[in-house]
Parts: sequence; structure tokens; C-alpha cells
Amino acid sequence: MTTHYLTWLLAIPAASALVVLLVPRSWDVAIKRFSIGAMLVELIVSLRLVLADYSDAGYRFVEHVAWVESFGISYKVGVDGISLWLVVLTTLLSPIALYASWGSIKTGIKGYALSFLLLELGMLGAFVALDLFLFYVFWELMLVPMYLIIGIWGGKDRVYAAVKFFLYTMVGSLLMLVAILYVVASYEKLAGHYTFDLQELSSLVLPASQQYLLFGAFALAFAIKVPMFPFHTWLPDAHVQAPTGGSVILAAVLLKLGIYGFIRFAMPLFPVASQTIGPVLAGLGVVGIIYGAYAAWVQRDLKKLVAYSSVSHMGFILLGLFAMNRNGISGAILQMINHGISTGALFLLVGVIYDRRHSRKLDDFGGLAKVMPWYTLFFVVITLSSIGLPGTNGFVGEFMILAGSFLSRTAIGFGSSWFIMTLLATTGVIFAAVYMLHAVLRIFWGKIVHPENESLTDLNRREVASLLPLIVMVFWIGLYPKFFLDKMNPSVDAFVTDFTVRYYEGRRTGEPRLVDFEELEQRIEAAGGLAMAEPTHEDAQ
Amino acid sequence: MSQLMGVSPLLLLVAAGLAIMLVDGFTKERAELASVTAVSLFVAAALAGTMLASGNVAPAPDVITRYLAVDQLALFFDVVICVGAGLSVLLAGGYLREHGFERGEFYVLILFTAFGAMVLARAVDLLSIFLGLETMSLGAYALVAYRRTSARAVEGAVKYFLLGSFAAAILLFGSALLYGATGHTDLAGIGQVVAAGQADATLTVLALVMLIVGLAFKLGAVPFHMWVPDAYEGAVTPVTTFMSVGIKAAAVAVLLRVLVGAFGDPASMGLYTGWTPVIMLLAVITMVYGNLAALAQTSVKRMLAYSSVAHAGYILVGLAAVHEVGSFAVSSVLYYIAAYTFSNVLAFGSLILMGSKGKEAVSYDDLAGAGRRHPVAAFPFVIGVLSLLGMPPTAGFFGKYYVFSAAVQAGGPMIWVAVIGVLASAVGAYYYLKVIVYLFMREPEEDQPIAVPMRSMYVTVTLVLAGYYVVKMGITPSRYLDWAVSAASSLVG
Repeated sequence: MTTHYLTWLLAIPAASALVVLLVPRSWDVAIKRFSIGAMLVELIVSLRLVLADYSDAGYRFVEHVAWVESFGISYKVGVDGISLWLVVLTTLLSPIALYASWGSIKTGIKGYALSFLLLELGMLGAFVALDLFLFYVFWELMLVPMYLIIGIWGGKDRVYAAVKFFLYTMVGSLLMLVAILYVVASYEKLAGHYTFDLQELSSLVLPASQQYLLFGAFALAFAIKVPMFPFHTWLPDAHVQAPTGGSVILAAVLLKLGIYGFIRFAMPLFPVASQTIGPVLAGLGVVGIIYGAYAAWVQRDLKKLVAYSSVSHMGFILLGLFAMNRNGISGAILQMINHGISTGALFLLVGVIYDRRHSRKLDDFGGLAKVMPWYTLFFVVITLSSIGLPGTNGFVGEFMILAGSFLSRTAIGFGSSWFIMTLLATTGVIFAAVYMLHAVLRIFWGKIVHPENESLTDLNRREVASLLPLIVMVFWIGLYPKFFLDKMNPSVDAFVTDFTVRYYEGRRTGEPRLVDFEELEQRIEAAGGLAMAEPTHEDAQ
Repeated sequence: MSQLMGVSPLLLLVAAGLAIMLVDGFTKERAELASVTAVSLFVAAALAGTMLASGNVAPAPDVITRYLAVDQLALFFDVVICVGAGLSVLLAGGYLREHGFERGEFYVLILFTAFGAMVLARAVDLLSIFLGLETMSLGAYALVAYRRTSARAVEGAVKYFLLGSFAAAILLFGSALLYGATGHTDLAGIGQVVAAGQADATLTVLALVMLIVGLAFKLGAVPFHMWVPDAYEGAVTPVTTFMSVGIKAAAVAVLLRVLVGAFGDPASMGLYTGWTPVIMLLAVITMVYGNLAALAQTSVKRMLAYSSVAHAGYILVGLAAVHEVGSFAVSSVLYYIAAYTFSNVLAFGSLILMGSKGKEAVSYDDLAGAGRRHPVAAFPFVIGVLSLLGMPPTAGFFGKYYVFSAAVQAGGPMIWVAVIGVLASAVGAYYYLKVIVYLFMREPEEDQPIAVPMRSMYVTVTLVLAGYYVVKMGITPSRYLDWAVSAASSLVG
């Protein structure tokens, strides 16, 4: 099957960016319409991906063209159950964020549209790349437009926030580059040719001592992006300073790339290290859950509150991911989508009120339910989704993650550590209700104490249009998650099996070597499957 | 005639230099000397490039090859140096006229300096190395002092001249010792004697150290970089551009020829001639110091000067990997030089573009707000600094990827050199981004005007050319890689 949907997916934003670059600055309206239009076309193309059959693992829509042949660098893209929904999330949120921006961004329209299109290109590229070099190129490509969006169109301390964002991400990703080069060099020594192809590199089994360092380099890059406690400090700054559209994309999609990097690259390539260090990262995730929740609780600035709630939510995702079982990982992936939808929507809602009052302080509001009923309704629905009320998307994801981590048996130290982590994480759900409802209470209920709030106007058509799709998604995932889970589960199952096989293979070796995992997995399948081979904590010790 | 094909780019430059000198003497109207000079440089580059791409170089008579190599490597550097010089000359055509000190001798000097650099890049004998080095350096000293009414320029030139002469003396001394130790002045002969173990060990080491010091000075590696910021800042910007690309390229070429050509035989790499650790150390301090020092600058020109020091460090990383990974590392160095040439021309050219008569853009403050007001003019600057920073998809990224890849493949301590290198280059993010910060995110101080970009066809053409290649070498690097690989193979089989 040679269809070029993924290439279209990358070509549309690239070509549109070029068009925007070439038209004169003064064509504001044309640029606005054109960039939104391009993103909507993009959304339609990405919906075509959903129609494919994902009933077994493996990549769909794969395209493979040599790029720099002598180095084994290729343009190889593909999508599977893990990346599918992330791609759709990106194509859905990008036009929404851009459309919402046109309400508040008045200067530099051309540059803003250009940055957004390049950002979309970078994000989609990183999600579909199956070549480490290509992935790295897209990974870095996202950095510059986001930096510009924060730095040019941001708030008062935008330069500080933008540079901090850039430097944090850059340090992490450069170390990852060295690790990638090391993997490729080790592969070349054994196989005799260079390649950056993920599937080929996956046959490389490295000794544990090397895996720790390499996993560390990858994990640093991804953990900064997630952001995992204690690498989260750039996030509140970036969010508070970024314009609304930038915050939406940052929270909804950019952070997911960190988690995605773990699933797609760090864990399959370095299974021994991820099995051993994974629980530690999950533990840091739990610290993030509680720390983020506490920090969110004490914020007086609504946007900062949402930013810290992101840290908390991303902690859940880390926890589910490193539980290393189907529930945990499926939950983590679903929760990535959920977080993208609800936090993206929250940032949009914060933007709505900021545009009217030029303040985000909780103290400046109160009693808004009387003057802005529709706004209140939207805000409350999204809040409930964010704190995981049954019937909304957040519940499904968090429940799956907690169920997964409760049953997880990968552990270091003592066997009950997952139980304790799950317990602590569950308290995070309660805290989430505390800080979010607290904020809702302060903003919407009570008397109107500030007279300037009396004349606030309710949501306009632009705002409703950008929020409505997200509300639909909240209930769709909340009430019928099967549609989404069915597409991802085969890939997740395969991932877990594959990871387990890799883990055992990795533990057996002292020397780097190449293993044909496909063949090995078939043999295991023939011998009765992996039913009993799931690693237990005795193995990990 | 065909016997001279291999050195025809050199001859062309000499002829062009002499002709321009003559023409300059007879005309008052010296308006378009810049384009004539640039065209002759580009023709020389095309000549060399054609021979390089075709893969066969007509054999030259012994009397030439005894002193000057006629091989793919030489042709590669011909291309790099001529292109670097040609683009600098185009920049000069806009810059010198705008600021009102265009004189004919500038073009003659730059042609002869480029000639010297090309001689140096193909020198395979201690004599021709010195000859090339001095030809190049004398021209460069004069070029730095070109704006003779400026105290800065004179200071830079004097520093450059004094330290440069000192370094040349050290190099000469080293050459003499090497001759004493081996009885040869040609690198091949020296290599054979050293490999056979017949050379006096102490003398050879001493000589090699002196050669490295002399060449590291020209390259601007720490701790021999003292002249770099002053000379780069004092010189008119097109000269700075040329120095940072052409002269650096020539220094790299001769380092490759001496270290790899004469001392690169693994058999000769016993403890006493193992130069890898020395280059490794130089690379590390150069990268770290260059990046940290660039951080502290308030002048963009000085920042770019220190950044060029840092880039010398990345080049040395590639060089240090040569012993382990051979031609892969050599070609990484070559590719880096080519990528750096275009990126640096783009950055300096954009700086030139941002100034106009009476108001040359030098410091960050001069750039404040200019990007918002003149986004088209600021755009190449963004691409230039991003390429210097090594962001994909630019030439700079691919170059950096290539040298660090060579380092990682070399294994052992070189991996840690690569780690230090990437961390040092992350520091670079701060000061390169500062350019973007000032252009797009700051407004000038109350009473300061926003910079007005100059209008010059010359500068525009340069930026378009350099920008095109920066992007092209980043997205479709294959062809240039092949050239670098074939050039490297003439040095290491």
C-alpha cells in the first residue's frame, strides 16, 4: 500500500509556511484565513489515517525514502496505534489554537502564522518519524517557532521565559543526539553499515552498563519536555508568558512529545535500563502529581494554576507509562489525549477572561456566573473533565492508569512500592478536585466584588467555535472510550510483549550484539506465548 | 598546458590580482572592481569545483607536486577559500561603498591573501608551508589595518601582526628542528622517516609541538586566540568575514596535511608522536572557552569572533577523531568547514546589512527592534545564527552532527569530548539567540533610532547565495558529502 498521506501531512504545513513567508505583511486577513484553512485541510487528511485498520500492531502508511544514503539516514514515516491519536490531537488543536489566537494577536500576524505552521510541521514530523535522525530534526524544529511565539507575542517577561524554555530543551536534546550517535555507531560496528532506522536499530542489544547512560541521555531530553519533576521549572514561566495560542499548543501537544519519546524510542532501545529506572521515574511522576497539585493550589494567577496542574497531570501519565502493562500504557496514551483536550481548553478559557479583563488573578474575579453564564458552563465542564469526573474523558484515563500501576509488578527495592505509589497518586486526584474547584468557586460564585466585572461580555462566536469541538471530545472519550482504545490496544499489547522479550534478551548479554526480535517473538509465540514471562520484581533485583 | 590545470585556480587569482592592480592604477572610476574580483574568485572556485566533481585531477609536473599537492583535498579547499573570499568581496562591494572607504587595493589584497591561503592549503613541504603562511598573513595584516584612520583597526592589526610573527617564528623554528630530526623538508619524506623510527624522538616531539602551536594560532584555537577578538573587531566586517572563513580553512588544511599526512601513519603513532590527546585537549578548551567568552560580549562582532573560536574547537574535535576513524573524520572536518563558511558569511553579511552610512551595526543594542521594523532584512540573520547554533535543517546542524558523529565513533575518551562539545554548544544557544532577542523582542532605548538596513545589491546577492547554500547543505547534503569524502580519501586512503 503506497499512499502518501503522511507526506501530505508534512507537506501541507511546510508548503503553507512557504506561501505565508512569501506574501506581503499587509495581507492580514488573507494570511489568517489561509493558515486556518491549511490547518483544516490538514485535519481532514489526518482523519483519513483514523479510517485505516489498526487491528494488529505495526506501522501503517509507511513511507521509506533514502535521504543521506551514505549515513543510512532516511525519510521514514509511519503511524501506529500509539501515535495515531497524538497525530489527530495535533491536527485538531493546532487550528483551534490558531483560530483562538486571532482574537488577541494583533501585531505580526504573518510571523505568528508562519511560526504556527512550522510548529505544526515539527510536532507532526516528530510523531510520525521512524528514523532517529528525522525524529531529531523535527524535534529541534519545533523549538524555534515555539521560542518565537513566546518571545515575540508573549507577556512582560517573555524574553526570559522564551530563553529558559529554549535552553532547557536544547541541553536535553543535545545529549540525546550524542546518545543517538552512540547507538548508531555501535550498530555500525556489528552490522557493517550505518542506519538511523528505528526498526533496524531495535535489533541492537547493548550491555546494561551502556544502556543506563544512553537511557539517561534520552530520558533527560524527554523528562525535560514532559516536564517531570524536578525539570519542570521552565513550564510555569513559559506558560504564563506565552500568548494563549502558544500555551494551548505547549500544554496540549508539546509536552506529549516527551512521553511519546519514551514509548517510541527510549524504552524499546534500552529495555533493561527502563525496567530498572522506570519505577524511579514513575516515583518522580508521583512526586510531580502531589507537588504540582500543591503548587497549583497556592497560585493566585489562574494561568499559573493551570500550568502547575499540567505538571500534576503529566505525573499520572509517567506513572501509567512505567507501570509497563496494558492498562497503564493504554491509560497513559489516552490520558495524553485527555490532558491535551482539557488543559488545552483550560488555557483557551483563561485566554478568554484575560482578553476581557487583562488580569488572571483569582482575586480580581468572583460572581462571574451571573454575567457570563455560557463561559461558566464551559469552564465547569472542562474543570470536571480535568479532575476526572466519571462520564468525562479524564476519568477513563486516570482510572486506567491507576488500575495499571496498582497491578504493576516491575519494582525495585520492595514489592509494595507500586501500591504505595498508586495510593499517593490517588490522593492527587482528590487534590486536583480541591484546587480546581477552589478556583472555580473564587471566579464564578459569590458576589461580584469588582464593579468592572459587571459589564463583561459572554463568549463570542469565535470562542464558542474553538471550544465546542473540545467539549464534544470530552464526552466522546468519557462515554465511549472503546472507539479510541480499540485502535491503540493492539499496538500497546505488542509493545508490552516486545518490551518484555527485549528486556530478557538484554539481561542475558555482556557484549553488544544483534538479535532478530521478530523471529524470536515468533518462536516464543509458537512455544506457548509469554504468559508467564512478564518480569517480576524478583527478576529486576 | 594541461599539466597546469591542477593549479589553474591559483594562476587565475594571480592574474586577476595583477590585472586589477593595473586597472586600478589607470582608472579613477573604480566602481565595479568588487564584481570583477568576485567573478574571478567564483570562476576559480568553479574551475576547482569542476575538477573536484569530475574526480580526476590532471597530473602536474614534479616541480610543482614536490611543493604543492595537486589532489582532491587541495581542490576542495580551493573551492572553500575562493567561495569564502568571493562572498566576502561581494560584501565589501556593498559595505565599503556605503561607509565611504572603497579603494582599489582592497580587492588586490584580498585576492593575494586568498592566493596565499590556497598555497598554504596545498603545501606539502615545510618551505611551501611557510611561504604560503607568510603570503596569506601579510595580506591579512594589511587587510585588518585597512581602515587606517581607526584606532581599533590599527590596534587589532598591530596585535595580529606581532603575535602572528611570533607564531610564524615558532612554526619556522619547529620546521628547522623537524628538518634536523629527519633530514627532510617534504611531509611525505618526514612521514617515512618518522614511521621508520629513524627520527630523533625528542626533537620530533618538540618540532611537532611547535608546528601545532604555530598553526593553532592561525586557526584561533585557545590558548592561542588572543588576537582573534581584537583583530576581528578592528577589521572592516568583510575582512572579518574572510578571515573567519578563508584563513581558518587554510589553517585547517595545513593542520590536516601535517598531522595526518606526515604523522598520521598509525605505525608512527607510538607514545612519542601521538598528537591525538593534544588536539583533544585543545578542542575541549577551545570549545569551552570560546563559548563562555562569547557569552559575555556586548558587541555582536566580538561575539561572532569568539564564536569563531568556538567553531575552531568543533573542527578540532573532528581532527582528534582522525586517528581512530580515518577518512570519516577528515571528511567531517571538511564538511564542517564548508558549512561554517556559508553560515558565517550569512551572519556577518546580515550584520553588515543592518548598518547604513554613519551608523554601522556593531553591538546588540544597534540591532534592537530592527527585526520588527524590517523583517525581511532580519530574516537571513535568523537563519545565520540558527545555523551557527546547529539547529536543523541548516548546514550548521549537519556539520555539527558529522563531527560529533566522528567523535562518538572514535569511542573511548572522545565520547566525553563530544559530550563536552554539545554542552558547550548549548551555551552557544544563549548568545546566538540574543541576536534574535534583540532583533525581534526588544525595542531600542528611548532616544536611540532603530537601525536602518543598507540598500545594496552586493550584500543582498551575498545573503541570498549564502542563505541558499546554508539551507541546501542542511536539507540535501549528499552531494557536498560526496565531495568531502572524495577529498578526504586523497589524504587517508
